[in-house]
Parts: sequence; structure tokens; C-alpha cells
Amino acid sequence: MTGPLRHSALADRGGLERRHPRIFRPPPGPRVATVALIVGAVGLAICAMWWLEFSFDRIGSGLVQLGYFLQLMVPPSHGGKLSHYLGALAETLAIAFLGTLLAAVLALPAGVLAAKNVVANRILHFFIRRSLDTVRGVDTLIWALIFVSAVGLGPFAGMLAIAAADFGAFGKLFSEAIENSDRKPIEGVVASGGGELHAVRFGVLPQVFPVMLSQVLYYIESNTRSATIIGIVGAGGIGLHLAEEIRTLEWDRVAFLVLMILVTVAVIDFISARLRFAIIGRRVAAPA
Amino acid sequence: MLVLEGVSRRFGTKLAVDAISLEFGGGGFVGVIGRSGAGKSTLLRMINRLVEPSAGRILHEGVDVTALKGAELRAWRARCAMIFQQFNLVGRLDVLTNVLMGRLNKVSTARAVLKLWSDDDKALALAALEQFGIANIAAQRAESLSGGQQQRVAIARALVQEPDLILADEPVASLDPRNTRVVMDALRRVNKHFGISVVCNLHSLDLAREYCDRLVGIAHGRLVFDDVPAALTDSIARELYGLEADDVIEAPAAAPLPAGVAVAAA
Repeated sequence: MTGPLRHSALADRGGLERRHPRIFRPPPGPRVATVALIVGAVGLAICAMWWLEFSFDRIGSGLVQLGYFLQLMVPPSHGGKLSHYLGALAETLAIAFLGTLLAAVLALPAGVLAAKNVVANRILHFFIRRSLDTVRGVDTLIWALIFVSAVGLGPFAGMLAIAAADFGAFGKLFSEAIENSDRKPIEGVVASGGGELHAVRFGVLPQVFPVMLSQVLYYIESNTRSATIIGIVGAGGIGLHLAEEIRTLEWDRVAFLVLMILVTVAVIDFISARLRFAIIGRRVAAPA
Repeated sequence: MLVLEGVSRRFGTKLAVDAISLEFGGGGFVGVIGRSGAGKSTLLRMINRLVEPSAGRILHEGVDVTALKGAELRAWRARCAMIFQQFNLVGRLDVLTNVLMGRLNKVSTARAVLKLWSDDDKALALAALEQFGIANIAAQRAESLSGGQQQRVAIARALVQEPDLILADEPVASLDPRNTRVVMDALRRVNKHFGISVVCNLHSLDLAREYCDRLVGIAHGRLVFDDVPAALTDSIARELYGLEADDVIEAPAAAPLPAGVAVAAA
């Protein structure tokens, strides 16, 4: 295929190269930097593996051990404690749901205030950002240990732990979503005589709402899994049973509990996908 | 030669395109006209297979385009380049890379992903940009350009595909009158100088009369007119555009034409 464009491009190759030297012989800087970055990252990974005594032998023997546990897991069995397990699972769900909801409600104003394009005051901005970082810097598990000491054992401590940890995470995610929002609708609201609150309510929120919603729904699912972990340290829920059965080597019951959690997470995932589409609405791609 | 045989497309209960049969090609500049929502975009997008037809066939040189899959479909898309109302460039990439997107179908995937373009391809992209006087901005990010510049970049991308056909979907609907001229002239140049057939959706009847050698009128998804521009009388235009007729027929107020051209076109 030799069209007129190709013909003239090849005929004038010398001229093109003379007129646009940087395109045919680009400065090596960016490419070298990219390659150096990749080499550096691989080097760092190798160092870290050496330092952490990464060993294929131990992975191998570990796999054999895991295979042995797997054998003990079949068939899964609840060992007559089904009603206990179901109650604990409901508790875990309640912890995850309430904790996430509380975190989202608290994080909404914090996220708005932490967004650069909403709050111009740099001191306030800095203060909120660093507070969110601090809250987020402490893991859910640590928050659970803290709240178990503060308010006692049980699901209430678990809920507070999830709310605290995710308040920091949501604050950051919401503020970033707001910063990525398009400026034009905000300008439209302001130009019509709207105040700052109007600009946030009508210019920003409709844009970022779908992002926030999907983040919150994902966190409810993810926190159902986290809630099992924090149960282990005494913050209520199914994690307590899981820890107990692992400790007493009742692998068939462990398998049963894991399957229960898996099914629950899958159901939540299914419901949240439906919910998200119902609220956001499917974008109909029907061109004019 | 591109042949459409009773092509239809349904969106839900709405029949956007209703059994249209047409023949395109042979180096012409065809304008597809009609009011907003008449089905012009859907028609063009079906040719490129961005939208699947609900019924009917599209044949290119005897090959059933509607049945193509995988690599063959991608090769067909490369042969019928598409130009969009909103330009559809990658804003964060530089202009040269955007134009080189037009070579993707001819370059090995490994080379393309690593951006190892051959000097021949770079020369082709620059030659295309020079055609439209914008080679000096090759290193700029596409999102930093004006609408008229972006659309010329998009035309350059289409040109380096070395296509048989260019499908332009409302290419000037987002542009001011001056840039409208620049872009329409670029499309005319592609058509006359490079001999590539152009099929162009246009809302403005005056632009259609001035630039096209054949007009295809669509109303409510059906073909209602297919002839040279001179045969399009005001009464047919009124039928085509309905209540919008006065807006499009008196469009010169929005896009003043050079006096001689306006007389010749009218």
C-alpha cells in the first residue's frame, strides 16, 4: 500500500528529519530514567527478599503442610454449632455495615474540607489532611485492640474500630474524588449566583457521588472480611470462632466457617452491584 | 465500493436506523444530512462496527463487513478511519503519539506498547501533520490544544491509517466558524489530494452544499434523499429538517461564507 502520503513522506524523509530532529533522535533522558527505575525496583525487590530470608525450600515444605490441612478440611462440618456460627456471622455483618456507614457519614464533611479545590485555606487544609493521615496510619486491627481496652470486649468495639480506620481512608478517597471532579459545572453554579455550599451540593456532589457510592459498597464487602480478623482479638463476630477452631485444629469446622464467609462476601458483592446500578442508572449509549 | 443492504439498528423500542440501502465510495465526498437524532451517527458507527447492526449487511468490495471478527475486524476498522465530534484523542498523550495511534493495526503489539515507532511511521505522522500546518506542535499534549487543532490531529491520525474511507461524525459540531472552515478544508484536502472517499455527517445544510458532491438525507432513520446537492430543493430540506428547517437553511448568519462560494452553492 503506497498512498500519496507515504510517497511524499518517504521522498521528503531528509527534510522531515531536518525540520523535526527531536522526534527522530529524542533526547535519551526519559527512556534512561524509565529503565533505571525498573532496574532499581527489581534490585530493591531482590535485596528485600534476601533480607527477609525468602526461601523456595520453605515454600515447598509449607505447601506440603497446607496440603495436609486441606485433607483434614474435607468434608467441612459445623460440628453441631451452626446456630452459634450463624449468630456470629450476623454480628460480623452488623459490625461491617454499621462501621462502614458511620465512617462514610463522618468522612463526607472531612473529605470536602480536605479537597484543595473546595477549601482554599492552606492551614485548615494541611491540618485536616494530616489528621486523616494519622487516623489512617493506624490499622483496623490496632484500633480494635485499642477499643477493646477502652469500651470492653464485643461487637461495639469492633464497629468503632472499623469506623475509625475507614474514616481516615474515606476522607482521603472522597477528597481525591472531589479534587478530580470537573471544574466546569462548579463554574456554572457559581456564575448563576450560587454560594460555596451550593457549588459543593450541585456542582461537585452529583459528579463524585457514583465514585463515593462504589467505594462505600466495596468497603462494606471488604470490612466483612476485616470484621472476621478483628473478631480474633475479641471484638466480636465470627472471627472469634474462626480463631478458636484454628487453635484447636478443628480443620473441618475452619473450612465450614471459611465457606460461610465466602458465600456471604459473594452475596454482598452481588447485592452491591445491583444497588450501584439502580442508584447510578445504566448509562445508555444511544448516539444521536 | 461500500454497499449497505437494508441496514437497521434498534435501541430498545426505538428504531434508530430503518432498513437503509446505499452505495458509497469511488473517491467521493458524501454528506449525510438530517436533523439531530435522525440516525446519522448510528449509520456511520455501524460502518466502522462501533455499533452492531440489528439487521442487514454491509459489504466492502464484496466482503461482508458485518460478519468480521477479531484481527479481520480490526483491519477493517483501520481501513475506514473514524473522525468524531469530540475528537476522541488521548488528552494526556502528545500529538505525535496520538497520530501514531493510526499505525497500531500495522505495528507489532510489542513495539507499539513500548512506543518503539519506526522512523518510517514517524515520518508518515509528521508528513500528515505538516499537511495541516500543525507539525510544530507534535510534542505538545493533545489536551492543551484548541478544538480546531485537535480535530486536525484527529484527521492526521485518520490519514496515517492509509484508509480507503474516512467516516466523519459531525466533525465540526463543536467548533467555531473559523475552525469549522479549517477542518472542512482539511477534509476536502484529504478527499481531493489523497483520493480517499469521505462520508461526513453534517448538521449544517450550507456546509453540506458547499463541500459535498453527493448528499444523503435521513429522517427518522429512513433514507429520504440521495442525489447531488443541486437537486436538494428548499421544500425537500423542509421535509428533512421539519421544524429545524429555518435554522439550518439560514445558517450563513452563524458561518459566513465567502461571497462567490455562497452564490455558487445556492
